Amino acid sequence: MAVKEDRELISSAKDIINQLSIILRTANIHSPSNIAVTTAIEKYIALLNPLIKSERSILLELIGEFFYINGMRIRYSLDYLINFNFLVREFKKREIGSVIFKDFMNPVDLQTFLKAFIESGFSDTPYDTMSEGIDALSSIKIDRLKKIKEDEDVDTRKIVKKTYFTAVAYIQGLFSKIEAGERVNIKKSKRIVEAMVDRLLEEEQLLIGMTAIKDYDEYTYHHMVNVSILSIALGQRLGLNKKLLAVLGITALFHDIGKIRTPYEILNKPGDLTDDEWKIMKRHPVWGVRAILKLRGFDSTAIRSVIVSFEHHIHNDFSGYPRVSNYMDLDLYSKIVCIADQYDAMTSSRVYSRIPMPPDKAISIMMERSGIQLDPVLLKFFINMIGVFPIGTLVMLDTKELGLVFESNEVMGDRPKVVIVIDSNGNRLKGPVVSLAQKDETGRYLRSIVKTLDPNKYNINLAEYLL
Amino acid sequence: MELTEDKDIKVVKELLQKLIKAKKTLRMYPQGNPIYVKTLEDLYTRFKSFFDYQDELTLKIGQNTIVYDSEQVYYNPGKEDNIALFLFKDGIREITFKKELLQEELEEFLKVIVVDFDREMDEMSEDDMVTLLWEKDFQNIQYVVDETFLMDEIDEDYERKAVTSVKGRGTDVESLQRAYADGLEGMVKDEKKVSIMPPAFEEIQMLGSEMEKDSSDKMEKLITILFEVFSHAEGEDDLEDSIMFLKDIVRFSLTHGDIHTVINALGKAKGILDDSFTTDEAKKYMKMLFIYIGTEEIINLLGAILDSSSGVDEDILKRFTDFLDKDAIAPLVKILGDLKTIRARKSIIETLITIGRKDMQKLAAQLNDSRWYVVRNIVFILRRIGDKRAVDYLLKTMSHRDIRVRKEVIRTLGEMNGQGALQSLSECLDDSNAEIRIASARAIGNIGTDAAKKILIEKVSQKQFKERDFNEKKEAYEILSRWKDADVLDYLAGILKKKSFFGMGRNYEDMACAAFCLGLVGNKEVLPLLYKFSDVNNKLLREVSQIAIKRLELGR
Repeated sequence: MAVKEDRELISSAKDIINQLSIILRTANIHSPSNIAVTTAIEKYIALLNPLIKSERSILLELIGEFFYINGMRIRYSLDYLINFNFLVREFKKREIGSVIFKDFMNPVDLQTFLKAFIESGFSDTPYDTMSEGIDALSSIKIDRLKKIKEDEDVDTRKIVKKTYFTAVAYIQGLFSKIEAGERVNIKKSKRIVEAMVDRLLEEEQLLIGMTAIKDYDEYTYHHMVNVSILSIALGQRLGLNKKLLAVLGITALFHDIGKIRTPYEILNKPGDLTDDEWKIMKRHPVWGVRAILKLRGFDSTAIRSVIVSFEHHIHNDFSGYPRVSNYMDLDLYSKIVCIADQYDAMTSSRVYSRIPMPPDKAISIMMERSGIQLDPVLLKFFINMIGVFPIGTLVMLDTKELGLVFESNEVMGDRPKVVIVIDSNGNRLKGPVVSLAQKDETGRYLRSIVKTLDPNKYNINLAEYLL
Repeated sequence: MELTEDKDIKVVKELLQKLIKAKKTLRMYPQGNPIYVKTLEDLYTRFKSFFDYQDELTLKIGQNTIVYDSEQVYYNPGKEDNIALFLFKDGIREITFKKELLQEELEEFLKVIVVDFDREMDEMSEDDMVTLLWEKDFQNIQYVVDETFLMDEIDEDYERKAVTSVKGRGTDVESLQRAYADGLEGMVKDEKKVSIMPPAFEEIQMLGSEMEKDSSDKMEKLITILFEVFSHAEGEDDLEDSIMFLKDIVRFSLTHGDIHTVINALGKAKGILDDSFTTDEAKKYMKMLFIYIGTEEIINLLGAILDSSSGVDEDILKRFTDFLDKDAIAPLVKILGDLKTIRARKSIIETLITIGRKDMQKLAAQLNDSRWYVVRNIVFILRRIGDKRAVDYLLKTMSHRDIRVRKEVIRTLGEMNGQGALQSLSECLDDSNAEIRIASARAIGNIGTDAAKKILIEKVSQKQFKERDFNEKKEAYEILSRWKDADVLDYLAGILKKKSFFGMGRNYEDMACAAFCLGLVGNKEVLPLLYKFSDVNNKLLREVSQIAIKRLELGR
């Protein structure tokens, strides 16, 4: 039956990606002739050949963060996470966009492919090295990673911006309606989060970049959307499917809904909060429970939102608030939102301590809280996602240029894209955006970060450069 | 070979009709049903045939129309079964099925459009069709959605205003230069303090198991939180809200057949009530929860669960009903008459036996229920409770219009033997209905006192008693034989010896009854008397006497 065959194909497709990753990792440690490698190769061939026979050829493509086999996107569970992520990184590092396996595979061809793949990892022109290495093979061919055209990039940015601001405007409207005691349409929140999930799956860095701007007038609304975006991004790293990402996004979007009862003067107080004001501020998780239940009843997403609203300040070691007795473990989503919330709050002005931190400093502090306030494993995933130099970090380059991190580099964390704000002669600029992964003809990097600075200390308006 | 344009349109029209038909069929038959499977396979075959010639099928959706390749392939001006309107109203403007469409995807697509029809009544549902389609994450079905509804009630100009405002602040050139100067100072590459450490395999495994655990039901957690919220309440408003949510949970859980969650919540609530540290105000509100579970609304939901095919385990039901107060009596009685299954009625009766003890008056007041079968059940419940205070109420029910109720009352009065019962039962022995008379006799027998005996002997001795049916008389004598004392023995012996020339047939019946009962009394002294009748001509008397003799001789 067709359906059964499809299911088998999907399962085999997953194995093809997983096993390729295993072979490459093994070959990184052992020589191609080592028994561990040859055994893995034999296994891989046994997997590939029947599929090649039925499908004529196997096209493995990397599009965005996903692998496709013969045009079909391959979803994976957490079990496959390490191997899938490894392969994504290695493909990107070599700028490989696709590999096509055709004819009948044999061990010699696959060993040649492996050898070329490993050698290209040490090359300054990895794609070309790889291409040359397998040139003689007729059974395996590669193609270069497709670059997004400049005008497409502009359009994508527009779409991402629209998604972001629609979400913020929705939250603003939601607050107004609740305050006015009006009925709220929750369907919209789902649709808005679904759009954010879609954008995140396609353009993770662009959407995360939107969260780096913290100077908006309406901090609370932007914070709620930012936490939602960062939570979805973290959830995506954990391999949650779209449906679960949407639920996570909604719970994160509503995590601070309890602040609707926090007096405006406290919420937007320019100075430090008094003890009494803090006491009121700390009521928002409990108020959030009430607000959500009044708004949404007991569907599964609402229940999840209640849990996250209540737990997002409790902390991993239960040292936070509200204080609880006889409590069970914290919810996974609460732990995710807690990390996203802390990061966004710390890197923003006008909250709690009122002193915004540069992103790298915030990450350092969060690492100190690992295992105490924050879940250590989730935090690792989060830091991997945000990068060593998160978007919005002010960086001094070895070329005596000053820049702002514009887009993280997933493969080379210390080589993000940077928008130059002062050139090497000390002149103020608004661009260009340069990739720190660029090399000159001798293979040396054109630019490297030598120092990070706090953009808040110098009142640098990130929006001017990032929006 | 390519399809001609007209043929192409015809094929799409037919395909669409198949799709509409499949939508209906899938609503009617469960997954796996042969008709379900065949319909799905037929539709999929149609798609596949279309894709033999085309790479994709794009349908443009209008309010009443569906257009393919500029040709209208569907039109329905009505609202009923209008697939175009159905898709259109949720914002779908275009659907494309791709050549690589899988049968599994097609089935999932149909499931979505079926679900939506079922939910038409649910205005508050959070999911619309677009969300359901989105969640399916189809690879070979694409759709275009009109998102304008998202912008209703949203400040459309928000983006422009926010961007203008945030950009407008600008960056101070001097500050920027200062940053640059600070950056240039000591331009030695510093090692990043933060290094990226990918999670270890074991950590990912740990996370995996946490994620697996995470998929479990969250209701228990929600209840824990709501009790925490209750404990954090500051003032009456907070307490009132908390109780309202707990009530909502009880209602929601029972609506979904989940009695465990309710028991869990009530257990926690009880803990709060019993806690000496709980304030009186908090206790006052918590008590409201217990009052709520006894309301008609909740008891009706309980009834629905009891009547459902899954039912409720006896122990579980008891754990729930233990929380019920006397206020639940009236609602429980109300559903008692509405329940469909014997098992459910039995459960409610058992519950009422327990709760009824808490307020006899409230339970007895239900004897006024207009449904005779409910009244009979209440009489039964009162009998099971066995509290003599119920006798007064029962006596008032003696005259119930339905004989089945009266019989139950009589039996109950007999078993309860309360003050005034004997007198009423005595009167019932003269009732025009034989069933009532027999029931009364039995009840009097159950009372078993000397006064009761006396009444029964008197009634049996009356002239009109002789005229009654043999079985009724036999029953009355049998009841009399329970006393097994000299009075009864003498009386029975007297009847047996009594000769009559008038109405000999009736007299033989009485004598036979007396003979039979002498056997039941069990005193061997009467054997000589019985031997005398063991060979009489009257067949009935002879046989009954022989039975009685055998009984006495064998000492049974």
